[in-house]
Amino acid sequence: MIDGTKVIDFHGHVGRWERYGMTEVDNPEIMLSAMDAVGIDVACLFHIFHPDGTTGNDLTAKFVAQNPDRFVGFAYVSPTMPDRMIQELERAIDKLGFPAIKLYPPYTPWPFNEEPWHPIYEFAEERGLSIIFHTDHFKNNRPRYFEELAPQYPHVNFVSGHSGNVPEARAEAIAAAQKYPNVYLETCSTYRTPGVIEELVEKGGADRVLYGSDMPLMDPRPQIGKIITAQISLEAKRMALGGNAARLLKL
Amino acid sequence: MSSLTFSPRVPVIDANICVGNHNTGPSPCQTPTELLAEMDIFGVQRAVIYHAQGEHISPTDGNTMLANWLDKDGRLIPQWAVMPVEVSIKQIEDLYAQGKASSVRLHNTHGNLPFRPWGFDNLLSFLSEVEIPLWIPLVDVDLNDLAITLNSYPTIQTVLIGAHYTHNLAVRNLLLANSNTVLELSRYEPIGAVEDLVDEFGAERFIYGSWYPRYAMGPILFYLHHTRISEEDLALICGGNTERLLGLHRRDND
Repeated sequence: MIDGTKVIDFHGHVGRWERYGMTEVDNPEIMLSAMDAVGIDVACLFHIFHPDGTTGNDLTAKFVAQNPDRFVGFAYVSPTMPDRMIQELERAIDKLGFPAIKLYPPYTPWPFNEEPWHPIYEFAEERGLSIIFHTDHFKNNRPRYFEELAPQYPHVNFVSGHSGNVPEARAEAIAAAQKYPNVYLETCSTYRTPGVIEELVEKGGADRVLYGSDMPLMDPRPQIGKIITAQISLEAKRMALGGNAARLLKL
Repeated sequence: MSSLTFSPRVPVIDANICVGNHNTGPSPCQTPTELLAEMDIFGVQRAVIYHAQGEHISPTDGNTMLANWLDKDGRLIPQWAVMPVEVSIKQIEDLYAQGKASSVRLHNTHGNLPFRPWGFDNLLSFLSEVEIPLWIPLVDVDLNDLAITLNSYPTIQTVLIGAHYTHNLAVRNLLLANSNTVLELSRYEPIGAVEDLVDEFGAERFIYGSWYPRYAMGPILFYLHHTRISEEDLALICGGNTERLLGLHRRDND
């Protein structure tokens, strides 16, 4: 809690990061220590390293179950295993109790506006779910695809993870948010360019910005520092830090 | 615990700010006054500044242009760009003779000359002799070259800047390999890493820098103020260590 605002981190990972030498970070104690140091109440977590979905979702559920008041799991599936995609989504949402979906187009051959992804959107449309995507300037991950998807699936909340990450893609994410009320802008990035948070709030709207950290790859403290030190109103900070996420996740 | 607003608790020197326009785009601050106003927003009292021209095109021209950015109150501390060529080293020698060279920085060592002793001996021998610390961006250097060369010039005080999480495997080893190496923290944010490194190596090995305007000044400063490191260590990282590296106490009293 920060000044009476419940803080929700919309972007975090379960899974090991040994490739980068981070051997101990898949650990709730380490995450909670960083969260507590700065007043983050809840972190949303997902596991993107297993294309079957099931393996990672079970690990996410196990991780969340250790601290169910502090962590929320998101379901992960991949269209590279289409036969089990919807079945796994049903299991993750209905049985594991996950309130939202994470998709990671870089691990697939397809841009996320192409046909293999649409069964996921149809599933989310029926249930009014939020989906967070990794977005950037590469072909599979362009935020401009939201301009096709958002009107087609009006009951899905499309969240642009990293808000496109770099200026060209960020402009696409903002443009989509300006046109459609069901497009949101999530803030985590190691590109901590001056003025980015201000730009997202001013152009996309304070009611569309979601604080995220990419924990544990990145510490949630400098990432929340982007919001706290931004030259935006206190009310905009409250919305970005938790108000908007609570609305999307019905927390 | 934090609040919705932030200001630092300790004196702050930003050890890594670029001024002037990159040829990829203009700087958000076009004058020293504008830069000082930006620093005031985040509670940064002083800053080590270098010129973009020195990074991308010409160290000697960039250094000449940097002189126009120095304010009368001394809040902006010049850091001179350098290359291992005669005209550049001569410029630094002259600045050193005038008592104006407290640090230098080296860019683009991925370029035309590997950062190996055979290519950089003239520069590194000079810096060793006069004890001027050297800032090196990790994104600009081959890590193998860096380790080999730092081992060959162990007395040079180096500051490695802009480490990203993709450098995580290398950072600890680089700090272990050379006790005169300090890590600037503008982009280094694996979870808990600052606390772990301070526990292992001591706060003296780390300095706050933002690398503004690549990155905003506030987030890492905010982060450092929300770790479990002591207030004494916080003060060292946020400014004390940079003051020591640059000899600012000594210079301020001159």
